[in-house]
Amino acid sequence: MFTFIKIAWRNIIRNKKRSAITLSAVGFGLGALIFIRAFVDGAHQQMIENYTSLVSGQIQIHARGFHQKEQLEIYITEPEKISSSLKENPYIQSFTYRIKAAGLVSSPEHSAGVYILGIDPRHEKKVSTIYKKVKEGTFLTESSDKGIILGIRLAENLNVGLDEKIVIMSQALDGSIAAGAFHVKGLFDTGTEEIDKGVVIITHKAAEELFVMHDKTSEIAIRLKNVEDAQKVSTLIRQKLNSSELEILPWQEVSTVLEQWIEFDNGFIYLIVIVVMIVVAIGILNTVLMGVLERTREFGILLALGTKRKQILAMVAWESLFLGVIGSLFGSLLGILLTLQLGKTGINLSMFSSALTSFYMDPYIYPVSKTDHIIISIALVLVTSILVSIYPAWHAANLKPVEAIRSI
Amino acid sequence: MSLIKINNLYKTYSSGKNIMTEALGGVNLSIEKGDFTAIAGPSGSGKSTLLNLIGALDSPTRGSIFYENIDITKIPLNKLALFRLEEIGYVFQAYNLINTLTAIENVEYVMLLQGISNQIRRKKSIEILKRVGLEPYIHRFPNEMSGGQQQRVAVARAIVAEPKVVMADEPTANLDSKTAENLLDLMKELNEEKGITFVFSTHDQMIMSKARKLILLKDGKIAT
Ligand SMILES: Nc1ncnc2c1ncn2[C@@H]1O[C@H](COP(=O)(O)OP(=O)(O)OP(=O)(O)O)[C@@H](O)[C@H]1O
Ligand SMILES: [Mg+2]
Repeated sequence: MFTFIKIAWRNIIRNKKRSAITLSAVGFGLGALIFIRAFVDGAHQQMIENYTSLVSGQIQIHARGFHQKEQLEIYITEPEKISSSLKENPYIQSFTYRIKAAGLVSSPEHSAGVYILGIDPRHEKKVSTIYKKVKEGTFLTESSDKGIILGIRLAENLNVGLDEKIVIMSQALDGSIAAGAFHVKGLFDTGTEEIDKGVVIITHKAAEELFVMHDKTSEIAIRLKNVEDAQKVSTLIRQKLNSSELEILPWQEVSTVLEQWIEFDNGFIYLIVIVVMIVVAIGILNTVLMGVLERTREFGILLALGTKRKQILAMVAWESLFLGVIGSLFGSLLGILLTLQLGKTGINLSMFSSALTSFYMDPYIYPVSKTDHIIISIALVLVTSILVSIYPAWHAANLKPVEAIRSI
Repeated sequence: MSLIKINNLYKTYSSGKNIMTEALGGVNLSIEKGDFTAIAGPSGSGKSTLLNLIGALDSPTRGSIFYENIDITKIPLNKLALFRLEEIGYVFQAYNLINTLTAIENVEYVMLLQGISNQIRRKKSIEILKRVGLEPYIHRFPNEMSGGQQQRVAVARAIVAEPKVVMADEPTANLDSKTAENLLDLMKELNEEKGITFVFSTHDQMIMSKARKLILLKDGKIAT
């Protein structure tokens, strides 16, 4: 066996230029694959993080049907019960209550349909990052029961500024008209149009008053220690609470659009994988096949001397595998180093950022290398290099010695 | 019993639809153990064809080739490789060697296929390379040796595993006459020293004159 491996290896060494070209093709291919995968993983992680931390939370608990209908009447009756169970869950970092309702806000000049969010300022800060997005004025505090914050775009549309008064109108739980006047305490700028144009935030207490919803809430939003646990923890909570009255939704179900977007991206990755594999396959096939064809006479002699066909097969397969292995070494080194370096500095996409923020992306993307994704990429390249050797190996092994020796 | 006995051997090549070439038309001959036989004849007379058939590299259209009492035309193709490995040594016209193996590795190759141990392989290869006068070149690759030296390595490789017979199809065709004569002298010495049977083809008068038996081919038949 060793001699066949030796012959395979020396054939690679002998054709330095050709092998070098193949190795670069394999290396760059794999490097690109690892890097693109890491880039997309990084972008996804960021999208999920940004999306879930901005407002939604990573898991939401509602009364059953709320997510679909978003009606005030579908509320959680005994939030305290759920709360005590969530406190014991080791995966959960924090959670908060929210009242959610649709309504109308009016300034002296204009009015707009909005989404009204009643939040608990102290807990909200531990679940979402909306407080960081307040660009003018301040975030709500426990005591700002008559305070309201709203998106900077909405403020423009309504033509109101800090400390000015706006009026909320909606329908309360008991069917009565809910109306209240609030002082603008802060303006937020999230970069996400639908939020900046369409959301106003008041305190949970104020919302309870306004909508006549004492000791009730619409939503419990949860932040996890690790966002990747969302599905698993949702199941755990479901089992623990064991209530058909509730819906427990991981972010994937809260934002099916985001989930679909990520799925679509992953599908796109497969396309890239296929393209790269074709490049790798052609690169190796070219080298190995040329090597085999120009050694026809040599294979003839090997066969004449009594070499078995499977030994010839092995010889050619080894050649291909060597190219695959060395190429993979270069490629994974290239891919991982690139990922680590750019993972530190980030990739500046600010020239596209106006388009990106609506997808919950930052102008900087930090690629993250996931071991399983790297291993899959390397394995794919190695498998390809073996598969690709089948044809040249078969060709060499099935030469007729006499004819092969006649050909120079 | 003859070492090799050939009866009524025919080989017809078909190239294209209706083009048939009868390369051998009923050859009978026998080769005895220890022979040093030349097959001579003009170009196209069928020398290579005959040697390939005797060497179990190709199968005849008709006829039989007995090695002692085994008819090799009856051996299935997949077992023929093993027969060649165990019984026959080969020297081809030129570029006989595996380019990626050194002289000694080339000589060892056949024994390696036979599963002979590393140590014995080494010992025998060095011995035989010394014998053919290539001691200083044992670690050279083929492209670092002259044509004559390469053919000597090929002869060394052909005889090292002590086959029943060595087939050499125009082993001197690519050599100048002095080198050719030296190679033939070497083969003859090995034939005498070790009793190895040689069958070689040539159309060179000088080479023919070195043979102890001469078979003349003309148009695929033995000329008398
Ligand atoms: N593979 C083949 N297909 C068709 N015809 C062939 C083939 N090999 C040989 N022939 C023909 O068979 C005849 C004998 O050829 P062969 O090669 O045995 O001659 P040779 O005596 O070895 O000639 P040379 O001295 O030129 O090597 C020739 O007419 C040749 O054209
Ligand atoms: Mg010939």
